Amino acid sequence: MLRIGIDIGGTFTDFAVWRRGAGNDTAIKSFKVSSSPPNFAEAVREGLEELLADVTLEPDEPVFVMHGTTVSTNSVIERSGPRLAMLTTKGFKDLLELQRLRLKVPTNLFSIRTSSLVPRELVFEIDERLLSDGSERQLIDLDQVVAAATAAKSDGIRSLAICFLHGYRNPGHEQAARDAIAESVGGLDVSLSSEVWPQLGEYERAITCVLNAYVKDRMDTYLGEIEAYLRERLPASRLFITKSNGGVMAAREARDFPVHTLLSGPASGVTAARFLGEMLDEPDLLTMDMGGTSTDLSLIRGGAPMVSTDSEVGEFPLMMPVTGIEAIGAGGGSIAWMDGTVLRVGPKSAGARPGPACYGQGGTAPTLTDAYLLCGYLNPDHFLGGRMPLRRDLAEAAMRPIAEALAMDTTAAAESCVAVATSNMVVRLLPYLARVGIDPPELILVLYGGAGAVHGPLLASEVGIERIVIPRTPSVFCAYGGLVCGLVHDTVRTVHGQAMSLDVLKRTFAELESEGREWLARQDCESYLTGDEIERSAEMRYRGQSFQTSVPLSPQAIAGKDLSAVEADFHTEHERLYSHADPSAPVEYIELRTRILGALDTPRPSKVDWTGGNDEVTEHKALRLDGATFDDCAVYQRDGLEPGRRVTGPAVIEQPDATVLVPDGFVAKVAAYGDLILTRGT
Amino acid sequence: MDPVRTSVMNNRFTAIVEEASTILYRTAHTTFVKMVQDYQCALATADGDIFAFPSQSGVNVLIGLPLQAILEQIGKENLEPGDVIITNDPFATDGLVTHIMDVNLFLPIFRDGKLLALAWAFVHASDVGGAVPGSISPSFTEVFQEGIRIRPVKLYRRGELNTDVINLFLDNCRIPDEVWGDFKAMLSAMNNMERRLNQLCDRYGVADIQTGMQEVMEYADEKARSVIATIPDGTYSFSDYLEGIEEDQFTYIKTTMRIDGDQVELDFTGTDPQIPAAYNFIIGDRTHPYVVLAITFYILSIEPDSPKNAGLLRPIHTKAPRGTVINADFPAAMGARAVSSTRLFDTIIGCLNQAIPGGLIAAGAGMAGIVVVNARDPLTGKDRVSVINPICGGGGARSFIDGLEGVDARFCSLKSVPTEAIEVETVMLMREYRLLPDTQAAGRWRSGSVLVMELENTGLSATMTARGLNRFHFRPWGVNGGAAGRVGEVIVNPGKPDERSIGKIKILKLKRGDVVRMITPTGGGFGDPLERDPDLVMKDVLTGLLSRDKAEQDYGVVFGKNGIDEQATEVNRAEVSASRASLPDFAFGPEREACDHIWPDDVRTLLSTEVLRHEPGVRQPLMAAVQTRLSAKDEAVDRSTLENTLAEEVERLTGNSAPTTDT
Repeated sequence: MLRIGIDIGGTFTDFAVWRRGAGNDTAIKSFKVSSSPPNFAEAVREGLEELLADVTLEPDEPVFVMHGTTVSTNSVIERSGPRLAMLTTKGFKDLLELQRLRLKVPTNLFSIRTSSLVPRELVFEIDERLLSDGSERQLIDLDQVVAAATAAKSDGIRSLAICFLHGYRNPGHEQAARDAIAESVGGLDVSLSSEVWPQLGEYERAITCVLNAYVKDRMDTYLGEIEAYLRERLPASRLFITKSNGGVMAAREARDFPVHTLLSGPASGVTAARFLGEMLDEPDLLTMDMGGTSTDLSLIRGGAPMVSTDSEVGEFPLMMPVTGIEAIGAGGGSIAWMDGTVLRVGPKSAGARPGPACYGQGGTAPTLTDAYLLCGYLNPDHFLGGRMPLRRDLAEAAMRPIAEALAMDTTAAAESCVAVATSNMVVRLLPYLARVGIDPPELILVLYGGAGAVHGPLLASEVGIERIVIPRTPSVFCAYGGLVCGLVHDTVRTVHGQAMSLDVLKRTFAELESEGREWLARQDCESYLTGDEIERSAEMRYRGQSFQTSVPLSPQAIAGKDLSAVEADFHTEHERLYSHADPSAPVEYIELRTRILGALDTPRPSKVDWTGGNDEVTEHKALRLDGATFDDCAVYQRDGLEPGRRVTGPAVIEQPDATVLVPDGFVAKVAAYGDLILTRGT
Repeated sequence: MDPVRTSVMNNRFTAIVEEASTILYRTAHTTFVKMVQDYQCALATADGDIFAFPSQSGVNVLIGLPLQAILEQIGKENLEPGDVIITNDPFATDGLVTHIMDVNLFLPIFRDGKLLALAWAFVHASDVGGAVPGSISPSFTEVFQEGIRIRPVKLYRRGELNTDVINLFLDNCRIPDEVWGDFKAMLSAMNNMERRLNQLCDRYGVADIQTGMQEVMEYADEKARSVIATIPDGTYSFSDYLEGIEEDQFTYIKTTMRIDGDQVELDFTGTDPQIPAAYNFIIGDRTHPYVVLAITFYILSIEPDSPKNAGLLRPIHTKAPRGTVINADFPAAMGARAVSSTRLFDTIIGCLNQAIPGGLIAAGAGMAGIVVVNARDPLTGKDRVSVINPICGGGGARSFIDGLEGVDARFCSLKSVPTEAIEVETVMLMREYRLLPDTQAAGRWRSGSVLVMELENTGLSATMTARGLNRFHFRPWGVNGGAAGRVGEVIVNPGKPDERSIGKIKILKLKRGDVVRMITPTGGGFGDPLERDPDLVMKDVLTGLLSRDKAEQDYGVVFGKNGIDEQATEVNRAEVSASRASLPDFAFGPEREACDHIWPDDVRTLLSTEVLRHEPGVRQPLMAAVQTRLSAKDEAVDRSTLENTLAEEVERLTGNSAPTTDT
């Protein structure tokens, strides 16, 4: 069996490949090709060709292609999707315009709301009404539905979203509308809010449904291209698409429900980090993926990535559970500038094009990458394996105006930029950790992405994180996610307002579980599943609270005679998160959820087969760190470091796809699986 | 200012307060904290200047709150490590506390035996006792009705809890455990700030930290001054009315703004005396962020990345006579002061419109109502009080963009409750929650539309209250030729035989099947409607928010076969423009014009200032008597008529003919 992980980024498309062979053949190969925007499929084909040139497939050898794509995300951010129409309950025409009223920056007199993805004239109000218990107050007027769909169609609309009030409780009206449209109008693609994600909250559910409709066409075209290529060149392959929840789904599923791919980009790296944590037997991790334009943080607690149910894509909320990501803006391309007399870094970025000044692609603004180069962290000849020679002269020229304003030399100015950028990250990191009640020293920082291993150690040092892990090939880590992920599907039932009993709870969970199993069976790979697992959780709160707590429920909790064990779990979780609980207070159930995980064959960890031989230390150079210049710091080659070898900071460890900065006060050690572990102390 | 230290320290200080604000939110117990995020914490220097204030969570209306009153009350020399001060008293703190529901805590942070900083936190406690649950009713006339009040005292003395104080406080709350829970949340937030600030001192040294505190304030000060400096020097004044509890009560609020280089002074002389309603507050002697919000919002609109701290307030100065509605004397009620502060915000915006070349923004809906229903809980069968939704209304048009739909720039932090949640949790059914077509105030830039919320009671009986409703009589004004906005309206049982318009909701009893239709106000337009881009007019026609008839009438456009006929429109607009009267700087609408006709601005100011010269007990009856007498005549009041009437009424009320104070 061959597993191929593919991850598309703005600059590079990364590949990771693993072949299950006889015995312990778990060698993993990774490489990258330049991305090919706007036609991203080209780079995928190019990379697969490179791979096929290297691999001879056995007859009937199954091939799993695990593909992370951001085509859907891009079309939301660029607003390049098609015009859509929406049907909604009478009285709620402005659901998408009004959103939840609140604006992002409440102190700005000139704030504007994101304009709706469906123009108001294409939102059709329908006479129908369901009540909160799912009962029918008013029959649906299907003639109106047909008239609206006909009007939309004649206006050139091809895709339509339907969201009726309380559709999460009773999908009847939405389904009746869809059927009537199929029968009497035809030629329209219809997304139902009750099918995409049936959760209470009409704006959030509607926008989830609208987003699904919005990206369908683009996803369909893109997948069509990839599939056509695979049919020709890898006929035995099955294509899976990375989901925002860290798992994958079959390509067919992704065509129907592309909304699940919207936040898949950063989720994949977190999945890989979780696997790494399992190998290292470290359940609590903070991941930091730092690239050219962005830095994403994420938390893994107790071996599981933290799930978020209030994330955002573009400026739209997504309510389904996804791997929680805190995007903190800064990247290697962040631009340093003088705000009057004060030095600032970002939020403007030079991006991938023109990129940092030292790339020599025409950029003249001083960026963090230029600062790294001037501080001695980066090797101008070995950047990206030598693919991108860096020009120190251009970095210096770009930094000079800053240096003059600061009355410093360019190296000191560069380090000032790094220090300001670190403090920018601290502003986002500390509140993020505080939201879940964790103190930095409790965590291990996992660094990946192009710049993660350069800046991450500085951030760790600043906030008091004591241990850092850097995987073997940090810049293609997201593609690794494709080798270790499984099929993951979430299901939800809103039970808010219903009387809860253990019977109802069990019955609902059983229904959700069978929904999950049906989904799994549809994913084209049942015979390859090596196991499955069901996770159950309940969204609960004390009566009178206006926010809810997600409580993971063990099988024992729902095996009792009554709900007391379930509620005990809630009190415990409430205490853990909020430092208080009230076991005597009545509890309400808002939603029940399950997550099914279908496991596939994954590489087992193997010790590094170290061949050794290379010189460890290739040069000595000066590093500018923490306000001082350290002369004669050793530069190591990672390939040359034997497992168990310790390197004392300040030092730099270079490898083809990344640079690792070992700050003063840290010691780096090569661990058994080839990962680098940095620890504070000596 | 050291260019690097300023930037790094601003980030590091902000990180500390953001983290603490998150901790406070996460560990707090009560509804106000959790639902409307009415809480905050910050760090101040040893002199009481806030140098770091969070912006990711909690309220943003108290940026840079001056804490000096606490130091003065307790005495800096009496502070010891482990102390925590508590107060919720607006009177003893000269307005630092804006109403007694806000319980404030202060923790002095010591380093090497010396006072380094002051940690501050507050929560709007869901109950502090008083005559109603939740402690707020607009109709309260004295602070005693609102609950327990405590002047600054030590809650902890050298780390030891003063149980007498806390017991006294909590024994006077309806929900003591939850309120204590909120106190604990504040304490952990403050302890965390103390720990982090000490860590920062370990890292950078005390001297750098102290310098950093001053530098980040200087940085904000510089930003604020750079914005104020762009406003032309001069004196600008503006007045508006706050609608009271009863139909005919209007409280006059007047602002005179003086711009002098990079400094601004706001003088509220001429504002009416305090009123027997919970709409008063105290602006005190120091610049209070709650009062000058319109200026700080403007500064942050132009310089969004400015540090948020007391430096922002340094170039802003305020003054208001004591005894006025915005600088009230003991024992004024203040629970619902958000209403009057909103009108004050409008008057400052009115001044800014005159001062900033080209203007700024028309008046917004000018209210934020909180609709609450008390009815039987369908789940438990017990009575339950539920917040249905906040309602605001359309935003005023701005000098280069249209107004916001459904919400006003002053209240962008309001968040609505999903209809589906309302219907699960309460007996109310939402029949309609949408924009009302043809309600945008016309202008080159138009206002947002009116928001309609129509509710039906499906339970046996329910009681609805809505505090904070306003702009039901005087329209939000338009600017530079933009039309005035619309006033709010509440209709019970629309379309039924017993349909009635009830004005602002006070306490409304609903039978099963009764329907309440709330129509919000909406802000004014900006600029000449005839100059509005026909494409934008067409866009509103297409969305259905503007009818063709109204488009023709308001904007002078002419429709042809394919939408707007541009040539015909141009001709028609030229004709309309030539034949109409010149456009006013402010369009107030007929109600305000009628009022101004009787009460010219200088005479109305004179009324306020004259009444204020009398002793507090006389002011209200005097004001009422003079207004009733002179308004009834429906003709313009001049100074001498006013002076004579005042004299007669004073004599009638007191038996004296001269003012009893100010002699």
